[in-house]
Amino acid sequence: MKSSRTLGLVMIAPAAVMIILFFLMPVVLTAVFSMTNMTTATGISGGVYQIAPNSLIALKSAMPEIAAEMAEPRYTIDEAGLTAVEGLGMAPGIVAELRAKHIGEVFPARRDVERMIKDLAERPSTREVKQTSEQFNRSVLNTRFDSKEQLFSALDNLGFKLTPEQKEIVAKTTYTGWTWTTENFSRMASSPDMARVLFNTVLYVALVLTLFNVGYALLLAIWTHYMPPTPASIFRGIWLLPRITPVVIYVLLWKWLAWDSGFISILMGKFGYLPKNYLLDTAYNAWFFVVLINGFIGASMGMLVFSSAMKAIPKSQFYASEVDGASRWQQIRYIILPQMRWPILFVTCYQTLSLLASFNEILLATNGGPGNATEVWALAAYHTALRNYAGNLEYGLGAAMALVLVVIGVTLSLLYLRVFNYGTLVAKPLIED
Amino acid sequence: MTILPTLKSLAVAAAILASSSAIALAKDVHISVWAGGTGPNDVYRLDAIEIAAQQLQREAALKGEDLKITVEKKPYSAWEDFKQALTLAAEAKTAPNIVVSGHEDIAPWSQAGLIVPIEDYVDLDSWPLSDIYENLLKIASYNGTVYGIPQDAESRPMFFWKPYMKAIGYSDADLDALPQSVQDGKYTMKNLLEDAKKMQDKGLVQPGYGFYPRTSNGPDYWQFYTSFGGTMEEGGKLVFDKAAMTRTYQFFADAVKSGVTKKNHIGMPGDQWWKEVATGKAGIWDGGTWHYARLVNQEGLKDFFGNVIFTLIPAGEGGKANTLTHPLVYLLTAGHDKEDTEIAAQLIKIASEPRTNALHAVKSAHLGISKSESTVDFYSADRWTREATERLLPHANAMPNNSDFGKYWNIMWKNLEASWTGAKTVDAAVGDAESELKSTLGDKIVIR
Repeated sequence: MKSSRTLGLVMIAPAAVMIILFFLMPVVLTAVFSMTNMTTATGISGGVYQIAPNSLIALKSAMPEIAAEMAEPRYTIDEAGLTAVEGLGMAPGIVAELRAKHIGEVFPARRDVERMIKDLAERPSTREVKQTSEQFNRSVLNTRFDSKEQLFSALDNLGFKLTPEQKEIVAKTTYTGWTWTTENFSRMASSPDMARVLFNTVLYVALVLTLFNVGYALLLAIWTHYMPPTPASIFRGIWLLPRITPVVIYVLLWKWLAWDSGFISILMGKFGYLPKNYLLDTAYNAWFFVVLINGFIGASMGMLVFSSAMKAIPKSQFYASEVDGASRWQQIRYIILPQMRWPILFVTCYQTLSLLASFNEILLATNGGPGNATEVWALAAYHTALRNYAGNLEYGLGAAMALVLVVIGVTLSLLYLRVFNYGTLVAKPLIED
Repeated sequence: MTILPTLKSLAVAAAILASSSAIALAKDVHISVWAGGTGPNDVYRLDAIEIAAQQLQREAALKGEDLKITVEKKPYSAWEDFKQALTLAAEAKTAPNIVVSGHEDIAPWSQAGLIVPIEDYVDLDSWPLSDIYENLLKIASYNGTVYGIPQDAESRPMFFWKPYMKAIGYSDADLDALPQSVQDGKYTMKNLLEDAKKMQDKGLVQPGYGFYPRTSNGPDYWQFYTSFGGTMEEGGKLVFDKAAMTRTYQFFADAVKSGVTKKNHIGMPGDQWWKEVATGKAGIWDGGTWHYARLVNQEGLKDFFGNVIFTLIPAGEGGKANTLTHPLVYLLTAGHDKEDTEIAAQLIKIASEPRTNALHAVKSAHLGISKSESTVDFYSADRWTREATERLLPHANAMPNNSDFGKYWNIMWKNLEASWTGAKTVDAAVGDAESELKSTLGDKIVIR
């Protein structure tokens, strides 16, 4: 008994590893990222400390004099620098001339000191000029320090007399990396656009789900149920096409249909209507097409589930009802629908979760337009975190948005499990109850 | 008799020594270069690096080094894909050696440590770098450090379809004077909308085709903000001028309301837009200097100067006529072997020589990067580059190199699109932009 339990654990280990790596970790990482202000500018792997003119703007208000002093780039030809240059192994004449003619000189900018070095009798190569000038750099401006300690020791070496509090202010204002924050959530809560996006998402899920994924799917299943087997199979096969066509091609076909130069415009042109982009003409049009595009794909799954469920209804019930003189509508109402309760619930639940997270068809068709009218939550998260024209990828905010989706998804899943009463569901086949 | 074998053996020894020293100095370097926004006219962004590699190999050979450089080129036509790919590759330490991107990326990428300053590797005082326009080099800098070398310059003019302008009453002399009139602020945005309307009312263009602006997000829209008196950055801080932004949003809302611009204009297929402006389906539109190459090379507009006149973006209320230059820059990415980065920097330097850069300028209808490029006959003989350089470049602004500008830009665009399509009123859009900017950027942006 004991050994079989161990064996069970061993057998399940690969699956457990996969679950942790590919399901749990992304969620955990999303949660972690969502608590940061990570962007392209802060990087992902962590920042450094850099006293740069842009960070000095913030420092100026806290300690103007020190900020002004730090802003000074200084290149000083001193003995320490000369010794360092000697260590580089360049022509000895270079150091000798620097020592003889330039010791004690201070240059305000790197280009100035490099111009002087280039004028030496034994003109060094560009690479050597750069190496030499660096040895005389006596400023912290634009230098990147990996840690606070390095920054503080450089400041100490340059004679900045800073209190520990001042040092912390300097460190804080010059840090280039990301920090922990809950601002993403307050930004989401306060942004009017986020509310709109949330509304769009609810609208999108509700429309596609009720009109197509469940409603139309049920209609298709019932139609085909009453058809002879061969036409029924052909009909179902046709409705599977949107599902099996590559999504890019499928959406392109819709675009061709609805663009200014597309089929609808050409057709309407015959009746004197000016061509227009029906897909993006108004928010209503965009919604109409977004729902159709997604609905035609989504209807097939419900259709298959419902069809097979209907096949499981004992034929005798239909025969008996026919004998009793029941109409088609009465058969649907009193035989089919009551027994379809669980498949309908299942499709509703499954498709809600799938619609919540899906955005690729919208991305390809309208990219959220016009005027962000069809921007749904998942698409907005993608735009924010991974793809926008300005190239400023806000990983932290995007992750926070994704986390909201995860939370909604998990909550709904739990709710559905409860509705389904999972224990009962697996106990006995409900459809043959 | 004995001297000959000795000489022979000496010669063999010398040959062996020579060959072994050659082996010792042989160096195979692999340089990868990626370029964003690169269509068929812009191939020299990448090819120039290949040309430079040939030159550097020859220079190395003269110094007795056997340097072999392989250049791997990767063009990206769209910006979104390119920036996503580059950012993620750089974070994963697999970035190419050289990147050609917009100057506005310098701030965030340098702060994140994805790129290294090119001034650490090249001598800016030596030709051809010393000859590059000072303002372009400034645009390629951040925090007082030169990070990139300008790969091209351009500006974004307003285009007018000449035959329609004539049809609504402009004489040839009026049209010749139009660029100056725009520059002097006599011809304004208001006049532009009026003319666009006239073109439609006369049936010259279909409704919605009078003013036919860019169909997607882009730097172009900052020009309109400048036209209406807006400032993007001041003293290192971003600026959101509410009044100017309101006027900008209102301008597009008015254009839609009066029917000269389509409500569904944004997001329309790019190819369709190109075809329409090249065939005179649109009356007035804005674009970039490089549009000339596309219109003439790909879209079949043979008599460009006979059909099109170009000017600065006219002044709006409270602003001035302007144009925006958006130089792409050669950047060096971090995380590579220092010697490879040095070679990459050398390649960028050589690729910036006037004759090589002129290949890109003429083929893609971008503008030159250096003073002496204007003296290259091949460049100056090209009417478009010559006229565009003279007429536009002196008035060109640039977007700020600020690590937070991208956030500002996204918020500005999102609300412009919303007010354009009527999803929000202009006031609501400006209000939403303001509140989002406040919560996003805090004291990093001045709102006035």
